[in-house]
Amino acid sequence: MWSTVFPYLLSGISVGGQYALIAIGYTMVYGILRLINFAHGDVFMVAGILMVYMAASGVPLWLCLPLVLVLTAVIGFVIERVAYKPLRAAPRMSVMISAIGVSYTLQNLVLYITGGLNQIYPTIPWISDNVTILGASTKMVTIITPILTLVLVVALVWLINHTKIGMAMRAVSRDFETSQLMGIKINRVISTTFVIGTFLAGVASVLYFTNYTTVIQTSGAMPGLKAFVAAVFGGIGSIPGAVVGAFIIGIAENLIKGLDIILFKAGLIPGPMGLATFSDAFTFALLIIILAVKPTGLFGEKITDKV
Amino acid sequence: MSNSLQKKKVDSATIISAVIVLALYALVFVAEQIIPPTSMLFTVLKKGATYALVAVSMNLLNGFTGIFSLGQAGFMLVGAYVYGIFTIPIVSRMDVYQYYNGGLVQFTLPVFIAMLLSGLAAALLALLIGLPVLRLKSDYLAIATLGFAEIIRALFQWDKLGPITNGSNMLRLFPTFNDFNIRAADGHVTVYLSTLVPLLIAGVCIGVIILLINSTFGRALRAIKDDEIAAEAMGIRLASHKRLAFCISSFFAGVGGAMLAMYQTTVQAKSFTTAMTYEILLIVVIGGIGSVTGSCLSSFLFVACSEWWLRFLDQKQVIGDFEVPLLRNGFRLVVFSIIIMIVVLFFRRGIMGTNELPDVIRKLQGKGRSSKKGGQGK
Amino acid sequence: MSENVLHIEHLTMRFGGVVAVDDLSMDINKGEIVALIGPNGAGKTTAFNMVTGVYTPTAGRILLDGRDITGMRPDQITVQGIARTFQNIRLFSGMTVFENVLTAKHLRRTSNFLTATFRLNAAEEKRMRAETEKLLREVDLYDLKDEMATSLPYGKQRLLEIARALATEPKLLLLDEPAAGMNPQETEELSAFIRQIKDKFDLTVFLIEHHMNLVMGISDRIYVIDFGRHIANGTPAEVQDNPAVIAAYLGVDEE
Repeated sequence: MWSTVFPYLLSGISVGGQYALIAIGYTMVYGILRLINFAHGDVFMVAGILMVYMAASGVPLWLCLPLVLVLTAVIGFVIERVAYKPLRAAPRMSVMISAIGVSYTLQNLVLYITGGLNQIYPTIPWISDNVTILGASTKMVTIITPILTLVLVVALVWLINHTKIGMAMRAVSRDFETSQLMGIKINRVISTTFVIGTFLAGVASVLYFTNYTTVIQTSGAMPGLKAFVAAVFGGIGSIPGAVVGAFIIGIAENLIKGLDIILFKAGLIPGPMGLATFSDAFTFALLIIILAVKPTGLFGEKITDKV
Repeated sequence: MSNSLQKKKVDSATIISAVIVLALYALVFVAEQIIPPTSMLFTVLKKGATYALVAVSMNLLNGFTGIFSLGQAGFMLVGAYVYGIFTIPIVSRMDVYQYYNGGLVQFTLPVFIAMLLSGLAAALLALLIGLPVLRLKSDYLAIATLGFAEIIRALFQWDKLGPITNGSNMLRLFPTFNDFNIRAADGHVTVYLSTLVPLLIAGVCIGVIILLINSTFGRALRAIKDDEIAAEAMGIRLASHKRLAFCISSFFAGVGGAMLAMYQTTVQAKSFTTAMTYEILLIVVIGGIGSVTGSCLSSFLFVACSEWWLRFLDQKQVIGDFEVPLLRNGFRLVVFSIIIMIVVLFFRRGIMGTNELPDVIRKLQGKGRSSKKGGQGK
Repeated sequence: MSENVLHIEHLTMRFGGVVAVDDLSMDINKGEIVALIGPNGAGKTTAFNMVTGVYTPTAGRILLDGRDITGMRPDQITVQGIARTFQNIRLFSGMTVFENVLTAKHLRRTSNFLTATFRLNAAEEKRMRAETEKLLREVDLYDLKDEMATSLPYGKQRLLEIARALATEPKLLLLDEPAAGMNPQETEELSAFIRQIKDKFDLTVFLIEHHMNLVMGISDRIYVIDFGRHIANGTPAEVQDNPAVIAAYLGVDEE
């Protein structure tokens, strides 16, 4: 039984870590701008494409990695300045539509550049190596992901709690207008948030695509949506919430992928039920349940409207 | 928005608008008889009619009721499947449902009954989904409806439902737009109607939506969009009115799905993605959130550009010895994206703002009220 | 005394640890103009929001004409006969003056969405429009009927909001700081207007206001609250002389 479940659990933890890194970007941006950044998943995909093209053009891998991360962060910064900042005073729906427009644009740009073909992700030594852990064979990246995720999250939480910009972020997410009145440079705070969020999405892309090996223009859509669900599940605006939510979703999704086999081996079903079809749908079912039962998520705070 | 004259007299602008629409229909009918049916014009009109209906149905929610829903693709999927499942001729069922022994459904409904059923199925689904979803606030509602659309997509591909949905295989061989053509006994087409009929279906549906928008219920929906708290204080029950808008919008999205099935001649669940919803949303935005005329215009423009006028951007062009740079597969979509971003950022009112065709005519007549300002939603 | 319209007993509202309204009891009789006053943050608007169903009270009961309306939704309460205006004007910004008032007629409909869509309710629609026209003439806004509501000058917007509330055919009209942002002359006109519509529409009026001239001029009775608690009530003259009220307004300690 354990040997059946364990590989799924392992890849669940790994994917969970990758979702967590993406989810932080969603949750931080939502916390400050109250915006679902629909383009965030696509930035994650673009980071993957950047790596592919940079490695193919002969840049050594050790240089590619930091370059990709920096470039991704720059892209995040530019998107905010171009597509969201001009709409600061606009209705919320307009900003959301702009985010969807950016998502559409990034996907079409990549489609144009790649010709819509699957791009093979470069093999990064060591983290692509195969290892055997507790009898299950997997890539090194599977083990590194959760560890790296936790290290980054701890660093981020420290940053938010102990630096000046971190405190400014917390202030802005608590009360946008008042923070502005108190002399906090809102635009700097927002830009920093986007830079951090996209940087982490860049890290996630390295881990994720090392595991899945190919990138295409739609590669970011599903992980992006799932990471967003993770952020909502954990309580939007809460970084620990996003991380916990992401791990739960990653694990659940992978267990469902193996549910047919697991249930069959346990003697609970007579034959395959095709339940793997629902591995993506499950995430959304979870979303709807949490929204219906506890819209503020696991760690979220209640926001009341003023009349 | 429509004019608010206290007496609902029909003014000249409305009559002129009706005449323009009728003239366009007549023009299409004539064109269809004389231009070869393979012309791109007809492809654009058929697909444009389908998209126009779906875009207007989305506008009813996003533009007129202020509910930011991203579930349109899911309701279209349901409509397309219901249409396909009930109209495939019995003789073809063995071919289509080859892995499921001919499938479970062993009868065929007339095309229009099946389309009605498509709408009703989508509306029923909306009723169920609406219970948990419509209580949510703007962006949570968006993501929840999007999630439901994804769940529906997975459900229709589930192997265990194969005897009904054909699992992940496509539905095909059902009646398409071409079956509206009138044929002589030898199979030769005598009257071409394959473009006119879809345009008529879309026109009637959009007409009903316009009637709804201009009724007392439409005013209540617009009140909800402008200010929920004030609307509630005026005795408008939010839950039931939002549910009404959601179900009606879904009904027409379902009918639109059936039309899409007829246009494509095949249906497969995996093509009804979130990207499809985004595309329709962007059409609504380009046309003007809160304008039915805008959604229609923008649908035809969007389809014409993507299927016809901007096709050249996807091919290498050589003028003399000069090869135009950048032009290759996918460039059209890049140009499209840029146009959309420009509209979203700089022309947020879109083509029409919240104006309708009669408003435009009224302005041309010099009676336009200068005080008219478009509400851009919340 | 004449018959009771609104009866509030032991009304309490807690937000987390904060008690916004604490054990408030009131009575308003038919045909009266009653004001609720108190310093900023005393809980006046919270009390209004409970009466109109925006908040569900933590404890206590609200009776309209003897019927318990506690915990009803705002739209149900409006149907029962309580209409309101808002402190920060909330007109329907995408609509004209005429449409704003016409929309408030929706709740007295007998049509459903099908009969309305297919115009089988022509008589009803005609009645709604005729009533709206009449109402707009009565409040002297008819000439502006085709203007966008939000393009009106501030004072007119206040009037329109009151007209829209009247369109729901209320027994009891709640006005939340109707004179806010008005100059003395406009305030004067508003006083006359409130008295006038009270008589014309056979209303009972319950209002929150900071303009003491207005309150003292038109109220039959006044309730005073501070920190959510009732501290005095009576005629304008009685309230003005009440030491507790003076203390609350001047911020003097009560001991």
